[in-house]
Amino acid sequence: MSSAVSVQQLTKRYSFSRPGKGLAGAFAPERVTIEAVSDISFEIAAGERVAIIGPNGAGKSTTLKMLCGILEPTAGEARVLGLVPWRERKALAYRIGVVFGQRSQLWGELPARESFALLRRVYDQDAAVFARRLGELSERFGLGELMDQPVHRLSLGQRMRCEITASLLHGPSLLFLDEPTIGLDVTAKAAIRDFIREHARDHQETVLLTSHDTRDIELVCDRVIVVDEGRIVVDQPTDQLRRTFLARKLIILRSQAPSLTIEMAGVAARPSEPHTTVLEVDTRAARIDQVIAKALALGGIDDITIEDPPMEEVVHEIYAAARRR
Amino acid sequence: MRSTPPPAVAERGPLAAAAEAFRLGAAQTLAGWPVLIGRCLFYVLLMVVLSGLWDKVAAERVADLARQAPVGSFVLYVGATEWITLSIPALHLKFEDDIRGGALDVHLLRPKPYLLQTISQCCGWAFVRMLALGATGLALLTVSGRAWPSPESLAFMGVLGALGAVTGVLLYALAGLGAFWARRVLPFQLIVQKLMFVLGGLFAPITLYPPVLRRVGEASPFAAHLYWAGVQAIRPSLSLFLTGLAWQALWLILLSLGCVGLWRAGVAKVLREGIG
Repeated sequence: MSSAVSVQQLTKRYSFSRPGKGLAGAFAPERVTIEAVSDISFEIAAGERVAIIGPNGAGKSTTLKMLCGILEPTAGEARVLGLVPWRERKALAYRIGVVFGQRSQLWGELPARESFALLRRVYDQDAAVFARRLGELSERFGLGELMDQPVHRLSLGQRMRCEITASLLHGPSLLFLDEPTIGLDVTAKAAIRDFIREHARDHQETVLLTSHDTRDIELVCDRVIVVDEGRIVVDQPTDQLRRTFLARKLIILRSQAPSLTIEMAGVAARPSEPHTTVLEVDTRAARIDQVIAKALALGGIDDITIEDPPMEEVVHEIYAAARRR
Repeated sequence: MRSTPPPAVAERGPLAAAAEAFRLGAAQTLAGWPVLIGRCLFYVLLMVVLSGLWDKVAAERVADLARQAPVGSFVLYVGATEWITLSIPALHLKFEDDIRGGALDVHLLRPKPYLLQTISQCCGWAFVRMLALGATGLALLTVSGRAWPSPESLAFMGVLGALGAVTGVLLYALAGLGAFWARRVLPFQLIVQKLMFVLGGLFAPITLYPPVLRRVGEASPFAAHLYWAGVQAIRPSLSLFLTGLAWQALWLILLSLGCVGLWRAGVAKVLREGIG
């Protein structure tokens, strides 16, 4: 299988001036350099779905921007679909689709259909091919009448469906997704994940995704690259990562009693506030439904929440494990 | 590593996309029709105040104005300059938002130039506003019992006004592109606005200035933006029209080059340092 993305010793340093101390310091600012991405290398095969994860400031977005061509590296090399992104940005633009979860590519005051029409011109798309693609995406995503409503009136989930549609209308073979499910409710997240996975599989698209949500990674990607402080600390298939690091869930119980005690193998209580019990469940040793059943049997439960451990925690664990090796 | 085959898409020039952006800009202005009506009412308010001022000035023959132009023509002059000014969208704020807010990332990922796309979209906005405000101005003249400009004057004003609006869009584009280096473009906007007052002849034609100042004003981009269209209300003539057209053509080229230069320098900075 050919490489869709090839990265060799990619490094990005930012420099900025910081005022020095005292009056004299104001006239002699100190030059500070930060290494956001440090000497990373990896390959992504065509058709592969890969997640880059890591805590805030780990270098995920910086890496993604360099691979899209909107940031030049300080050192190293990269080829995306055979092109050097920061030198051949325009040629690459025809072949990649990009979704930034926190930025819109649609025109807020106009219906999405108008934005799609402009994007057809921007990407020089044949009208018939464009209409067919839009029809398929609209049907798959249930856009229908949504396309005729001003974008600012759409819910975040509806807007994200339109954003992803916009990024696919020119038929890219590589999709970059930066936090595509951020801020969405559970149903909307599920719809987005299903769509990305199925569309990528059916069209042999390569996907490179960044996210803080471990479910995005588990349900969409075949492989995970974990970055921390600009370096790759783990690069392995999702199944393997799930077995080793994502096999924990947090169950948060709010109860009338100040605390609850549940004795089960694979279940450990974490420190918490009164009337709240936080259980860390090793899903290899205990089933979630059994833990909840046992909690409900105690009675007096007001609320139950199931969460993944915070990504920072997972990454910290991964990083600690990598250092131990 | 094997590279994948080139895309099957037939790449075209940027003009079709720019035309679509223009159409989109026009559609956006029409979609916000209550704002457009508000703008027209604001124009009416301004014109009521300014025509009162200029009627009084002309009636009292202050500074020998009446000898320079027919009574009422200064009202038409101000009407023309305000017509252009109020038609210009706040492009500098869009640039500031996009560059400082990070939306530029999305635009840089597209194969067509953001600068041309955005300016075309702004011209689409301005085009619809000019039609609406122009109709409002003519209606106001009719209601207030004033004579319309002559057909010759209207035709000259229409052409010079449209080009003046594009000149204004480019002036504000220059101010907005300052966002690559400054967090706020307000200082640049204020400079453009003040020079528009002083050298562009927003409220008073620069023909009233002393000769040296008048020549400086006429040669400035601010006169290309406002004065040359406005002066057709006072002294409609083919020679003035052609002179104005020549100045506008010159400034449209220079301002476009200035915008492209700033844009390229700004994008190089963003590619090197990121946004922020």
